[in-house]
Amino acid sequence: MMALTLFLIITLTFFLMHAIPGGPFTSEKMLAPEIEAALNAKYGLDKPIWQQYLSYLQGILTFDLGPSFKYPGVRVNDLIREGLPVTAQTGFLAMLCVVALGIPLGIVAALNQNKWQDTTIMAVATMGVAIPSYVLATIALYLFALQWNLVPTFGLDDWRGYILPVAALSGFWLSFIARLSRSSLLEVLGQDYMVTARAKGLHPQTILFKHGMRNALIPIVTVLGPVVANLLTGSFVIEQIFALPGIGRHFVLSISNRDYTTIMGITIFYAAFLMLMILIVDLLYMVLDPRIKLAEKS
Amino acid sequence: MSSAPLLKVDNLTTHFHTSRGDVQAVRGVSFDVKPGEILGIVGESGSGKSITCLSVLGLLKANGEVVDGSADFEGKQLTGLSDKDLRAIRGDDIAMIFQDPMTSLNPTLTVGEQLIETIVAHKPVSRGEARKRALELFELVKIPSAASRLDNYPHEFSGGMRQRVMIAMALTCDPKLLIADEPTTALDVTIQRQILLLLKDLQEKLGMAIILITHDLGVIAEVADRILVMYGGMVMETGDVYDVFESPQHPYTTGLLDSIPDVRSHKKERLTPIPGSPPDMLRPPEGCPFAPRCPHAMQQCLEAMPPLFERPNAKPTVHEARCWLHHDDAPDSLKAIFKAPEAANG
Amino acid sequence: MDQHKMTIPADKWAPIDRGAQDAEFIAAPSLTYWQDVRQRLWRNRPAMASLAFIIFLILAAIFGPMMTHHTYYDQDLKLSNIPPIFEVYQTSPEDGEPQYVFLNSGNFKLYEVNEGGEILGLLRAKRKDLMKKQHIYAFGEEELRVDYSQLPATLVDGDGNPATSLGLKWNQTNWFGTDSLGRDVLVRQLYGARISLTVAFVAALVNFFIGVFYGGVAGYFGGNVDNVMMRIVEIISTIPLTLYVILMMVVFQSGFLSIIIAIGSVFWVDMARIVRGQMLSLKNQDYVAAAKTMGASTKRILTRHLLPNTMGPILVTLTLLIPSAIFIESFMSFIGLGVSVPMASWGTLTAEAVETLRAYPHQLFFPAAAISLTMFAFNFLGDGLRDALDPRLRK
Repeated sequence: MMALTLFLIITLTFFLMHAIPGGPFTSEKMLAPEIEAALNAKYGLDKPIWQQYLSYLQGILTFDLGPSFKYPGVRVNDLIREGLPVTAQTGFLAMLCVVALGIPLGIVAALNQNKWQDTTIMAVATMGVAIPSYVLATIALYLFALQWNLVPTFGLDDWRGYILPVAALSGFWLSFIARLSRSSLLEVLGQDYMVTARAKGLHPQTILFKHGMRNALIPIVTVLGPVVANLLTGSFVIEQIFALPGIGRHFVLSISNRDYTTIMGITIFYAAFLMLMILIVDLLYMVLDPRIKLAEKS
Repeated sequence: MSSAPLLKVDNLTTHFHTSRGDVQAVRGVSFDVKPGEILGIVGESGSGKSITCLSVLGLLKANGEVVDGSADFEGKQLTGLSDKDLRAIRGDDIAMIFQDPMTSLNPTLTVGEQLIETIVAHKPVSRGEARKRALELFELVKIPSAASRLDNYPHEFSGGMRQRVMIAMALTCDPKLLIADEPTTALDVTIQRQILLLLKDLQEKLGMAIILITHDLGVIAEVADRILVMYGGMVMETGDVYDVFESPQHPYTTGLLDSIPDVRSHKKERLTPIPGSPPDMLRPPEGCPFAPRCPHAMQQCLEAMPPLFERPNAKPTVHEARCWLHHDDAPDSLKAIFKAPEAANG
Repeated sequence: MDQHKMTIPADKWAPIDRGAQDAEFIAAPSLTYWQDVRQRLWRNRPAMASLAFIIFLILAAIFGPMMTHHTYYDQDLKLSNIPPIFEVYQTSPEDGEPQYVFLNSGNFKLYEVNEGGEILGLLRAKRKDLMKKQHIYAFGEEELRVDYSQLPATLVDGDGNPATSLGLKWNQTNWFGTDSLGRDVLVRQLYGARISLTVAFVAALVNFFIGVFYGGVAGYFGGNVDNVMMRIVEIISTIPLTLYVILMMVVFQSGFLSIIIAIGSVFWVDMARIVRGQMLSLKNQDYVAAAKTMGASTKRILTRHLLPNTMGPILVTLTLLIPSAIFIESFMSFIGLGVSVPMASWGTLTAEAVETLRAYPHQLFFPAAAISLTMFAFNFLGDGLRDALDPRLRK
């Protein structure tokens, strides 16, 4: 299933990219026809499209995403390898924020339904959901870096450099997860088995975590896969605004450069990564919800 | 009666605070449960029967509050007890089973775990011992191949089996009182009977008392010793099952009895539904809550709440009914609507 | 008083008059489902405020640009980067009318205005003293100097004393100021609203039709049709959709139409899922069986019985789809894949504001506020709708 989806993505991406009118070297710069022909020959663009497709597939099987069209001698793999640490670091920290702050905030809000804690958390979370990440990032950059000089405006040399990108990146999903955790836990708290747990004389903490959160986590875990994907796409603008040399920045640059192999390579890399995340989420899901196993068996 | 009551509920009053005002779910309910007896509480949904029991155990939702009255369990005041002390009683001395075994069991934990955690919460035993106890209980409630079923999840059981699991869970600590809140309503008719007989059987074997909440008078007739008829958050009639069924002393009870089919009777009778719907508990009527639907309602019924009148009884249990027609001043012509109770002692 | 014993007068034993009593017991009039929903939505203040805001925005987007002589593309480089609010200074000539000026602290330029705050034009400096970091302007005999040796720049007279200030004035020519090319921000903002709202509504509509059709067919026919169709949906939903919108934008070249195609063709999956789920649960209801027995055609059952009952969840999904469409559009425009210049969208406006962020931070304010408020409004409205439609809250 995963492999099939990935294959479809690769195919779709490949043909989408090749559907762009004109070759990668015809646009923008005026090249002498013989140079263009030479370039086409060098990158195998003179071959029929199905041959290009097959060799691209072959490349992917050996984890080779081909050469960059814009930076001679640079391979897409190199670009990803170079950008990955930055993107992975900020992405991981953002994910950590989303989970480690979002879920507890949702719990606090749910347990204090309609009290000031709930109202405050939900007001902030609604703001977080409504304000686009790039707007949040820009405003934060202006206030904290330019006006108050609390953090550096760009770069990750200092730990403080991480604060704004991570905050801007996680803002939306932190709020989203907080809202989801709240509604999910509220729903679970109203379930009959929670009354049963109380009627059995269990400790409130046992009731909340063993019976409540375990069930409330199920819908939260399902969205964590897409959250990872969206943190990644979110990193496009965040890395641009904070001038971080991550994959997202390469991606946006490759778009404005019309560097098709890079666009294609990074897309496929992202898709593969997302597949992996979804797989992990599915496994986690099975651990949490025994009803799924039965469905798989039968 | 000689034995002291196990549970004595006195003037229990429970309100739910909502944005539209207070819902007066339970309005001054008093009753007691003696050791080893089965008390049936009957009433329509919304009559306050479940809320009464949840109030006793302090299991009300966050917006619910016991505003008046008391519940006394073996000399201990349950109302006003700290959550910690209440927890020690819940699941141990007083256990509860619920209507829908599908939703009342946690879907993400094995049934064994759900039993074991209850045992461990109340008894100083290891998990291994608790598991052994759980197995015993599964056998006690007659779950086939009990040992292998402990590690199953609730969704792997049928409805009847799930309710057996619930019962086993309630019995973990040999409770003195079991509150069964409509334990058979969500089940198939054939399964209903099995579960009911199992409860009766267990009650005899273990000597516990049971409060059986139901809207099904047939269930009460089958197993209960005493009956409490509730309407609009109040007790309408109470007495020995025999007395109440033979000579109901409240128009509501009469109505309930008329609205169930009697398979034993060969007469072609029409079932008579009770017209109207239960009162809005946000603004309960001043007088008798049943008056708006009562075929015999009088001016007096709308204006004042009738007290519980003691009625003659054939069985040695007090028979009481909340109806103005039992007042001394009530015209005899009207009193005749009730079948005269057969008095045991003349 | 013991009620058992008290005497009750004979008239109290009269049977009650049912007619009068029934009248007393008339409850609140029962409402149909949609009346109930409307009433609950009406009582939800944030949702209603949001609805009012959205209506206002739509009206402003439609009629706003017609009511001004500014256009979204007219450039005036002389009057670039004008703030919406400025401090007006007054010259004090010995004879004749005083002149009014304001200083743009971002570019140290001096502009002539009238007393009300209308901009008359850019003033030319008499000379620029680069050593002292001063620009010197002459007004007849009088001299005013823009001193930028210390930031923020200040306006002083010939002797170095602060110029006479008339206080803050709202820019009457360009209410929201101008951008780096001297275009009116308000008009561009309104055009941005047009773009964002059009994209949002069209994309939502496209999603609505595809999703309802797809999910409706899958749910109604069920079985193998459903299996295959939902497998496809599953595959699509594992694809990072934002990436594909980006790819499509690259392929189609940026522009208004391609953004609608890109967003519209990709985000119908949620809708399809919801419609299908609703269909599956509804088609087994008795009233559908009843309609079938009475010989209603498939089409009739679908359009008359099933769709109206799935309207609630569809509506909620649709309302919540709109802000994500707005977001994606502005996101695309922000990274340079959206509408092409000189068209304005909230995304491009934000991107332009980011470029001049250091000198003119106020330019960020309007697009950021516009998009955030709109997202807010649609989110609140969606939440309100969901709460209003949720039968579990229904009493």
